[in-house]
Amino acid sequence: MTASVADRVIGRDRSKAGAWTIPWPLSAVVLASTCIVVGLIWDVSWHRTVGRDTFWTLAHLLEQAAAVIAGLTCGYLVLRTTFAGTAEEKAGSVRFWHYFYGPLGAWVCVWGTLMMITSAPFDNWWHNAYGLDVKIISPPHMVLAWGMIGIQIGAMLMALRAQNRAPIEDQTLYSMIHAYAAAILVTMMSTVIQEYASVGNQMHGSLFYRVTAWTIPLFLVGLSRASRLRWPATTITAIYSAITLAMSWILQLFPATPKLAPIYNPVTHMVPPAFPLLIIVPAIAVDLLMRRFGRGNDWKLSVAIGVTWVAVMVAVHWFWADFLLSPPARNFLIGADQWSYSDRLGDWRYRFWTLDVDATGKWSPLGFAKGIGFAMIIGIVSSRISLFLGGAMTKVKR
Amino acid sequence: MKALGTVALLAAIVLVSSAHIGSPDAWYEGNTGPYHVIVQVATPGVVPGVATVYARILSDGRPANGVDEVTIQANKFDALAASPPPEIASPVAGDAGTYSGQLWIMTGGSNSVTVTVRGSLGAGTAVVPVVVVASRRLELDPKLGAVLVAVGVFLFLGLVTIVGAAVRESSLTPGVAPDARQRWKARVAMAASTAVLALALFGGSRWWNNEDTSFNHSIYKPLAATATTEFVAGKPALDLKISDSAWIRRNDSTWLRAHRANQWTPLIPDHGKLIHVFMIRVPDLLAFAHLHPPTRDSVSFVSSLPPLPAGRYRVYGDIVHESGFNETISTAIDVATVKEAGAPTDPDDAFLVASSAPKDARSVLADGSVMSFDRPAAKFVAGRSASLRFLVTAADGKPLALEPYMGMAGHAVVTRDDGSVFVHLHPSGTISMASQMAVTMRQPGDSVSGRLGKRIMASEAMAPAGTTGQNGVVSFPYAFPQPGMYHMWVQVKHAGRVLTGAFAFEVERSNS
Repeated sequence: MTASVADRVIGRDRSKAGAWTIPWPLSAVVLASTCIVVGLIWDVSWHRTVGRDTFWTLAHLLEQAAAVIAGLTCGYLVLRTTFAGTAEEKAGSVRFWHYFYGPLGAWVCVWGTLMMITSAPFDNWWHNAYGLDVKIISPPHMVLAWGMIGIQIGAMLMALRAQNRAPIEDQTLYSMIHAYAAAILVTMMSTVIQEYASVGNQMHGSLFYRVTAWTIPLFLVGLSRASRLRWPATTITAIYSAITLAMSWILQLFPATPKLAPIYNPVTHMVPPAFPLLIIVPAIAVDLLMRRFGRGNDWKLSVAIGVTWVAVMVAVHWFWADFLLSPPARNFLIGADQWSYSDRLGDWRYRFWTLDVDATGKWSPLGFAKGIGFAMIIGIVSSRISLFLGGAMTKVKR
Repeated sequence: MKALGTVALLAAIVLVSSAHIGSPDAWYEGNTGPYHVIVQVATPGVVPGVATVYARILSDGRPANGVDEVTIQANKFDALAASPPPEIASPVAGDAGTYSGQLWIMTGGSNSVTVTVRGSLGAGTAVVPVVVVASRRLELDPKLGAVLVAVGVFLFLGLVTIVGAAVRESSLTPGVAPDARQRWKARVAMAASTAVLALALFGGSRWWNNEDTSFNHSIYKPLAATATTEFVAGKPALDLKISDSAWIRRNDSTWLRAHRANQWTPLIPDHGKLIHVFMIRVPDLLAFAHLHPPTRDSVSFVSSLPPLPAGRYRVYGDIVHESGFNETISTAIDVATVKEAGAPTDPDDAFLVASSAPKDARSVLADGSVMSFDRPAAKFVAGRSASLRFLVTAADGKPLALEPYMGMAGHAVVTRDDGSVFVHLHPSGTISMASQMAVTMRQPGDSVSGRLGKRIMASEAMAPAGTTGQNGVVSFPYAFPQPGMYHMWVQVKHAGRVLTGAFAFEVERSNS
């Protein structure tokens, strides 16, 4: 069978013994996926440090480059497969509106690119109508975010396709690429939810656990199910931790000062993202549970994962939060206690926020327990949805 | 000042008020070192948003030569830790001596714009207090809306198709055709994804509506006020109350928290008065009063009523908060005929009752002198810088020596006849001098309520008498924000007496 564009030279280049050669469309979309998350973390840091924003900041250019790379690559891929593809190439694709052919991941990337482009005029109008939305979660930003996530899911699906079609000796490579693409998605989600779940101050409130239970297992569990690695969830979250830490350490190296008023906190270097969430710990539990339950017990497995995920998250982050709010965490490595130029520094830096309180405003253990119970239910639902989607992903070959 | 006018025209679409009513731009005129500047700050109408700053640099009354650099810089009144680097303002083509630039204003409330001029004559800086508030809601342009809907439908259908294709074919070994079962599963998945996406769109639509409602609530409204008449020592008096709960309960932190209200800072005197009250009779606009009632509790301001004719009056109160935020509260009142007026509450109180509609060129003052509107032959155009220059002459035609009236060569009130515009002007522009002091005199530690206010009061008491109108001339920098019929009252002081001139004129719509 003649290899398709996406499949050309899958795995080892047989002419050079031992050399890995990855198909260029896969490299391109994984690069685009990386550019998006790096650009986004950089952009958030820029807004927290410098403030002054233009279309042409390097962080924005990186995100726009990602859309161009993904859009052109996948656009070319589907047009070439449709109009110049061999029968075999078409046979290895999915059909779109009866006439167009292309790998599933490429279609998702194209969709993501169009979403990103659509968000631009919407966001621009939003700024004129309601003022600049200086927050991550706003309607136009969510259109943009789903465009970005679309490209990242597309990249992950293209890696998955390569993994599921690769000969056994090449599977580790493609499983690692898939794990990397999956980790980008997890990093993306953790960036999107950072207003609710990122710093130690949030980790004694049940809101933190509800938000993370909804967003992280929704991606992590299914992506792990689709992986062929031995410790997929652990690997994915390890890569997520490495990406986040690398961004934190690199950004902090760059001197920068605010260029917009009001400046209540005169920062001198780029404000880094918060230390990565310790989701690698519940991820180990996810791997262990998935092994123990195997396949065919997804309802029970999702209950086990939902409950265990939240329980382990609470056990780990409750004490980790105390550390993050303590002086030893205020250093380059941990990066705690670093705030935006526009934040009025005060005692709130060392207090817990969004605590579950009773009518008198005091911390309520019962309220917290109820919130955690609700988080577990959310975790069960998100795990179940994720297992369902992950099960489908294990079979993706086109 | 063509460029200044263009921006003012854009501002003219602003429907609601800024700190003044219907007049959102800040105008400042004054000396900056060796130069004379006229600054217009066109506020964005949303927060955060971009303000456009125009600065006209003059020397000896003409566009200044040898200006090397004009910079502009925004800041919030209480951000004392650091200032952002200034932006370079660019020369405006075709408008000699005028420079412009844009500034992001990130937070609402009392802000300032600092204009610095450097040139062959030296350097100087002017600080312009600017109140920035959300003041208008922008409708979605139908064309943009249509494009977004079309693209949205395409993306919706595209995603449903992708889901269908994924379920139907993606798991099949290359070359294997989907069977009936796969096709059926794909149709179910497409139906399910349609439902999920429709739900997501519905949720997104509700979210947008909530954001819109929340924004509408955030649109600035001045503090609510009420006015009543009462008798004090047998004489009729006006009692203007700031009746807004957010003001009355400004020190009740529990109430403020429960109502998500920001705490107002206390009032500070402007030109030595805690409030400047203006009464304008409607609909004829023939009677006008400018009063300065004192207060015991910062809520109720009581002033003796001058002998005004009976009728309905619009009542405006200009107040300045310690933050530098100045605003115009407004209400209306029905006044019965004042048969026997009491003595003026404040020596600077003044009023005018005209017997006939004022003209657009000339007003005979109470002492027989004449105030002439030295206006250009062309009609005023909305959004364009207007030359509001007045010459006061004695009966023999000689210019009158004007004295400072509350520290200024003159005070003016401009109102559109329907009340949609009301602004209190000085030769220094629309800005409040107290606001300017609040943003320039603030020091670390002034977060304690009242501390800065005391220093400002002490500074005002120590200040020299103020400016006088040279050769009987007094002028005001301004651009009318919208077309229509306008009334304007100009007040000057001569021989210890406040004289009020009244004018009426039309402002035309801009064709450009």
